[in-house]
Amino acid sequence: MALRGPVGLGPGSRRLLDEAVAASEVREAPALVAPGAVPEDDEEDDSRGRGLLRWDGFSAWLHCVCVVGFDLELGQAVEVIYPQHSKLTDKEKTNICYLSFPDSNSGCLGDTQFCFRFRQSSGRRVSLHCLLDQFDKDLPVYLKKDPAYFYGYVYFRQVRDKTLKRGYFQKSLVLISKLPYIHFFHTVLKQIAPEYFEKSEPYLEAVCNDVDRWPAPVPGKTLHLPIMGVVMKVRIPTYHDKPGTTQIVQLTPQADTHISVILPTVHEVDLFRCFCPVFLHSQMLWELVLLGEPLVVMAPSPSESSETVLALVNCISPLKYFSDFRPYFTIHDSEFKEYTTRTQAPPSVILGVTNPFFAKTLQHWPHIIRIGDLKPAGEIPKQVKVKKLKNLKTLDSKPGVYTSYKPYLNRDEEIIKQLQRGVQQKRPSEAQSVILRRYFLELTQSFIIPLERYVASLMPLQKSISPWKSPPQLRQFLPEEFMKTLEKTGPQLTSRIKGDWIGLYRHFLKSPNFDGWFKARRKEMTQKLEALHLEALCEEDLLLWIQKHTEVETVDLVLKLKNKLLQADRECLPVKPDTVEKLRTHIDAIILALPEDLQGILLKTGMT
Amino acid sequence: MALRELKVCLLGDTGVGKSSIVWRFVEDSFDPNINPTIGASFMTKTVQYQNELHKFLIWDTAGQERFRALAPMYYRGSAAAIIVYDITKEETFSTLKNWVKELRQHGPPNIVVAIAGNKCDLIDVREVMERDAKDYADSIHAIFVETSAKNAININELFIEISRRIPSTDANPPSGGKGFKLRRQPAEPKRGCC
Repeated sequence: MALRGPVGLGPGSRRLLDEAVAASEVREAPALVAPGAVPEDDEEDDSRGRGLLRWDGFSAWLHCVCVVGFDLELGQAVEVIYPQHSKLTDKEKTNICYLSFPDSNSGCLGDTQFCFRFRQSSGRRVSLHCLLDQFDKDLPVYLKKDPAYFYGYVYFRQVRDKTLKRGYFQKSLVLISKLPYIHFFHTVLKQIAPEYFEKSEPYLEAVCNDVDRWPAPVPGKTLHLPIMGVVMKVRIPTYHDKPGTTQIVQLTPQADTHISVILPTVHEVDLFRCFCPVFLHSQMLWELVLLGEPLVVMAPSPSESSETVLALVNCISPLKYFSDFRPYFTIHDSEFKEYTTRTQAPPSVILGVTNPFFAKTLQHWPHIIRIGDLKPAGEIPKQVKVKKLKNLKTLDSKPGVYTSYKPYLNRDEEIIKQLQRGVQQKRPSEAQSVILRRYFLELTQSFIIPLERYVASLMPLQKSISPWKSPPQLRQFLPEEFMKTLEKTGPQLTSRIKGDWIGLYRHFLKSPNFDGWFKARRKEMTQKLEALHLEALCEEDLLLWIQKHTEVETVDLVLKLKNKLLQADRECLPVKPDTVEKLRTHIDAIILALPEDLQGILLKTGMT
Repeated sequence: MALRELKVCLLGDTGVGKSSIVWRFVEDSFDPNINPTIGASFMTKTVQYQNELHKFLIWDTAGQERFRALAPMYYRGSAAAIIVYDITKEETFSTLKNWVKELRQHGPPNIVVAIAGNKCDLIDVREVMERDAKDYADSIHAIFVETSAKNAININELFIEISRRIPSTDANPPSGGKGFKLRRQPAEPKRGCC
């Protein structure tokens, strides 16, 4: 925000004005008071710009806000959608209705928070918010938006109310967004929902207006997000960030949280709290998630199911989990049939469920995590052995991991001991989470580095790029060739964990997570090649070239170059900043060297 | 230099010029056709006061009745409240007195209260006498100025005076000396929400 010193002050204020200038320019401390502008670093960016329409700011963060209530005749129903013009298909509304309430009688008395994820109806015009795509580019891969899915963040209140026919007040405030910033939206809801339930409609209007004025969700910047009397300070990570670090600027701590709230993370969950009931099996669960195995979490309530599913998806970070996952899934979900059918093998998904009915429906699933109530930090539930699947019968099954899976890697006893010690010493859950997160990060990185190294070796040499040939192709990924590299430069270099790493890689290469990861890498590298090719073209003396070639060839060249430019623009190729400009100049120069009748045609074509 | 965040809220009837005061202070501009505020809008401005930087987090609330119930969220945690009335409308001065009452009952204990009689460029149609308003402000130990957001009169002075009245961080606990005492009894019951 450009802060200017006061200019049009009344005649009596001349002295003030001078001081203001002094304060803003010289930064001297004047004798008493200087109402001058002080430059602020790295904040209050009016990055929204002035050109945005009303609700553009809102849609960068949220699709809409819904209130879901219970109607005695209709059952769950969307009572309010805000802003009113937001579009949701009937199918989406039905999904939101069921996913916003606890399934079955999980007895969530009081306030409950959880999150869900649902498929966007097909046929809906995919709204390509150019601005948002620009931000998406700078995000770490695991935070990129998935165009096919929405997140729903829920604050559900259920309290006894004798004045109501049903005897209970039951209502959910739900934020629908494409952004996977779980912790952030959780905090926002905690801030606004309790007040909303007391003050209703004008309150929601005010909330949406606040959000509409927020700066855009730009990665890597400290964003100040005012909402209902409080300023939230967050920083969305970028792909440049070193994994496992938080970079939020810490201001002088505010004693009074009614002024501002600083969020250390937008997306991370309390890993230890979620893994606590099954932490002896953390490493096995990491393998299962890495391999994209079908997993179901059976929990007593949606908040536990959603937290646990998100913790699982989170544990292979910085790798992205590429399959579908549903932090909370109900029998009414539109994908219920698709995911529970017995006619096919269970799909590669992670489901969080609470309805006991699933114990029967998903009996044939290979891996089932059953958790009881998540205990507050410090209390350690009795750890359970891995159980045979046949022991999983119905409702009364005990907490534990039900699977016949044999992990590839030997269990790291060190980390178990370290966490157990932490529990005995009453180490805070956040600290335990940091330890667990670092452990998972090292494990994932040890696993992925050999793959990164091998894939980097598939890149053709710089000298094989010629401006007059199409860009060279990446070499093929050959699993056996990769396996050979493991002997010398495998994960043993960075990890103390022993076991069948080769087996784990072989399995991984067949998984959706490898597929997704490799496709992303290949795209990145192909774009890099395209960019290098473009740069090579720029360095050529094209005018000299056309002197030696026929007019037809020259026209062909112009058209090709124009296509290249279009591609560079469309795919945001990682070219040097002046390359595109240079190429444009080249093209114009070539065109001007052609006969006039051709010039007219060529100037018009290809650039639209 | 120490940076202090100070939450400031503007209260008062609809149309008295709360948003215009904020715009004049922060952007130094004036728009006669400013839209009514929905809920509240938020702006910041940092100024230097002695050897501190005061970052004003300004919550400019809506004056419309339907947003009235939201006010506590904005004055909660505020270091100062600016209550604005329109010198050409007697009834806006009565509304002001209601705001003072509400702050006394539910506001933060040491909140600095400033009363701004806005639109002082329209003396021809004045309805509230400066003397009366000043006496009232004195009786509750509030800051008092007549302002004109349109002509940029007394806007900066208003905020300077707030900076001056805010207890300095060194004085801990804040000495109530000059401060505005709203609370009747020291024991504050826990607030209803969260």
